[in-house]
Amino acid sequence: MSYSCALQKPILLQGHERSITQIKYNREGDLIFSVAKDTVANVWYSVNGERLGTYNGHTGALWCVDCDWDTKNVLTGSADNSCRLWDCETGKQLAMLNTSSAVRTCGFDFSGNIIMFSTDKQMGYQCFLNYFDLRDPQQIEDNQPYLTVPCAESKITSAVWGPLGEFVIAGHENGEINQFSAKSGEVLKKVKEHNKQINDIQTSVDLTMVITASKDCSSKLFDSTTLDHIKSFKTERPVNSAAISPIMDHVVMGGGQEAMEVTTTSTRIGKFEARFFHAAYEEEFGRVKGHFGPINCVAFHPDGKSYSSGGEDGYTRIHHFDPQYFDFELEA
Amino acid sequence: GFIHTDPLKVVHTDGEPKGEIFTTSVTFYNILFVKLLGDLLREKPQEADGIDSVVVVDNVPQVGPERLEKLKNVIHKIFSKFGKITNEFYPTVDGPEGLTKGYIFLEYGAPTQALEAVKNADGYKLDKQHTFRVNVFTDFDKYMSISDEWETPEKQPFKDFGNMRHWMEDPDCRDQYSVIYESGERTAIFNNDAKDPIVSEERARWTETYVRWSPKGTYLATFHQRGIALWGGEKFKQIQRFSHQGVSLIDFSPCERYVVTFSPLMDTKEDPQAIIIWDILTGQKKRGFHCESSAHWPIFKWSHDGKFFARMTQDTLSIYETPSMGLLDKKSLKISGIKDFSWSPGDNIIAFWVPEDKDIPARVTLMQLPSRQEIRVRNLFNVVDCKLHWQRQGDYLCVKVDRTPKGTQGVVTNFEIFRMREKQVPVDVVEMKGDPESKTAFAWEPNGSKFAVLHGESPRINASFYHVKNNGKIELIKMFDKQQANSIFWSPQGQFMVLAGLRSMNGALAFVDTSDCTMMNMVEHYMASDVEWDPTGRYLVTSVSWWSHKVDNAYWLWTFQGRLLQKNNKDRFCQLLWRPRPATLLTQDSIKVIKKDLKKYSKIFEQKDRLSQSKASRELVDKRRSMMEDYRTYREAALQQHHEQKIARLQLRGGVDTDELDSNTDDWEEETIEFFINEEIIPLGE
Repeated sequence: MSYSCALQKPILLQGHERSITQIKYNREGDLIFSVAKDTVANVWYSVNGERLGTYNGHTGALWCVDCDWDTKNVLTGSADNSCRLWDCETGKQLAMLNTSSAVRTCGFDFSGNIIMFSTDKQMGYQCFLNYFDLRDPQQIEDNQPYLTVPCAESKITSAVWGPLGEFVIAGHENGEINQFSAKSGEVLKKVKEHNKQINDIQTSVDLTMVITASKDCSSKLFDSTTLDHIKSFKTERPVNSAAISPIMDHVVMGGGQEAMEVTTTSTRIGKFEARFFHAAYEEEFGRVKGHFGPINCVAFHPDGKSYSSGGEDGYTRIHHFDPQYFDFELEA
Repeated sequence: GFIHTDPLKVVHTDGEPKGEIFTTSVTFYNILFVKLLGDLLREKPQEADGIDSVVVVDNVPQVGPERLEKLKNVIHKIFSKFGKITNEFYPTVDGPEGLTKGYIFLEYGAPTQALEAVKNADGYKLDKQHTFRVNVFTDFDKYMSISDEWETPEKQPFKDFGNMRHWMEDPDCRDQYSVIYESGERTAIFNNDAKDPIVSEERARWTETYVRWSPKGTYLATFHQRGIALWGGEKFKQIQRFSHQGVSLIDFSPCERYVVTFSPLMDTKEDPQAIIIWDILTGQKKRGFHCESSAHWPIFKWSHDGKFFARMTQDTLSIYETPSMGLLDKKSLKISGIKDFSWSPGDNIIAFWVPEDKDIPARVTLMQLPSRQEIRVRNLFNVVDCKLHWQRQGDYLCVKVDRTPKGTQGVVTNFEIFRMREKQVPVDVVEMKGDPESKTAFAWEPNGSKFAVLHGESPRINASFYHVKNNGKIELIKMFDKQQANSIFWSPQGQFMVLAGLRSMNGALAFVDTSDCTMMNMVEHYMASDVEWDPTGRYLVTSVSWWSHKVDNAYWLWTFQGRLLQKNNKDRFCQLLWRPRPATLLTQDSIKVIKKDLKKYSKIFEQKDRLSQSKASRELVDKRRSMMEDYRTYREAALQQHHEQKIARLQLRGGVDTDELDSNTDDWEEETIEFFINEEIIPLGE
């Protein structure tokens, strides 16, 4: 009993020469940002896939991107040991914050005034979670975050802000999830439901829930305030990214093994699929094929009528759902 | 009775040594001892010591004086092996002219020699009627001092393991299978239901490496550093434990009476413990054996009824019998150059082959046990190698012969088919044509008289099906060419089979019905490493084991026709083994009757299936309903909290309400964009 997601022809975004690491819609959904290992950060019109522009400057692979609520500023993190702030419309680099190791995850808080980013455990440096207040230019100028939280045990692999900018919800390499206060840096809550690396964390559009994607081949839904474990979605491949539909009780997951792990020659062409699960029943009900490699990032359009996926193949595909998708129901 | 402290100092009431004195509680040895005593005393031995070096040999042929010398020579020949015989005594009936009594005394130079004689000659079969019984004389003393008081042995508490065949009583006839997953951390037993597997038992660290079922399905064997354990019954209780440090391989006798364990660690010259044979019910260690290499396990091959087990060593075939665990006829068979042997699965017949030796051609021999009669010998010429393949019931033996015909370089393959059920075992030959260098796979149809052969080099692999007919012909029924296959799996009931391309051939599967050699279905289980038929031949499992491929570890269930029923993903799935079934208790006649009434049974089963389907749907629907309720409850509470935080949100965004996408239309900009949609050419015309 499954819906094979026969969609309209997807819009293909071709603008990267290497694998996509993250994609993000702005709050209103008219723009979609994509970053990749090729040092390029692009922004596109989501309605037709036309590219608006590129944010030039990074000299290493880009790991993360975020846009503030007002679509004024853009934040990127890179393996070139810098986190950069850009003017969204003009593409001008507004600030460059140098770090000792690669910036793995970054984001604006609800107000758009505070930014956070985490650095990798590398070259003898441990993982740090840094907070800057953009209202205080001195912090940017001096490259002095108002708060730095060391993560000695397991490095942060993905992170998002909580609903009111009070804390950051971070996923770690060992599968743990921690809430780090944005005021004191202390761990407010922690859970360990996954037993392998958290590859991605995303919030629901109303910020009440977060969904995790883990190397342990499952994805889980948590309440963002209490970190109560609400639902689990199990597959047989590592999950690289997951997102929550803004309007339906659905989640989408993308994954697959890394290219390096594939040892056989006969990999299935175009067989990497985005998988749709019913959020309440935890049952898979549909799949979308098309990528030529593992899917690294998925995202729903804020209006829930389309979704996008960025892959190891360097392509970002925007899919609009056909009417059947909204009518489809599992018998209950 | 009489008192004895020293057997030679018996005092009798009337001073004369008496020949026969009986007590009320007399044993056989008592009688014998008394008789012997009489004889000894007549001889009047002077020395009191030296008694320890004397042996008594019983069941010696009774001969008259004319043959006594010859007898003495025979005895001498046998018994002087163990030491120097310093004294001998052959008592006779009624004076020196009578027959010997049938027992004799031999004295050695030292007690150790006497012990050697007992150890080696006791049980020696002189001829059909005479098997020696040898004892040291002083043993009689030991038996004399058996207490007259009978002590009841302590009663062992009865260990009730319940119904050991419990799994056979499943009302829906579901077979069981074991699954090892999480790279060996977890072992589970499932009941096979077409819809979903049903867990029967699941344990962490049940085994340290892998598991094995006994041949009739009664026991599950698990491996541990200290030895193996057997589990069974409804709750899989531990039935028995066998201590064998470092055990790595095991084998069961077909009757499930014995289990054989191998450990590379435990082997010394004095005490061979590399291979141990155990009695399963008593837990006793029956015998230990030395073992050079475990490369071709099982080292000991069992006859189908468990009466014999045999192993091959350099130029030797050693056949042992149960329950004595001793060599059949007390000796191994010298077969110079023996390369391989194998038991018929239906009779106590061994097939073995020897390569050519100077002028003597290579040959395959069929030997009947225990008579050791050679019932068939087949000469083969220019042989490179042979492989023995028995048909499941022992009706046929196929010897796959690789030969290099005179004057050629290449290797050709023949199949020599021995018809075991026909008088004098006629042999028919099937020649494999085609590329001589290619590999072949061979498999008999169980319960039938067909066999399948895979031959050729990829991608030109052909699958050929042959039928061994009653009229002496072997017919090629069908050949499928260009197959993606490297293995043949027949259904255990015959007729149906699967040609599989495992591992490097990416899991291609072809389901064949050999009654008319049609291809029922061609499917694929990508990277499948193993194929296992259930014991009834209804279901087939293909699996991707973590031991051979680190992703997509799962087992899939198919019908015998190749219809996919289930995909079961299991984290680091390693191994699935079906639980074997014991032989049916139905007679052939009752089976015939059931087959006749099959239509009647079909109706009942179909109705049952429909009921269970709708029950499952209802269960699923109920489950979903309750999950949705829980989810809704949670969402309501979360949204309530979200609502309460609205003011905080407005404050954070400078009063701008962003809760809905259209909450703030004031800020919207209207923009007109043109899109290219379509091009249409409209001819201007009439």
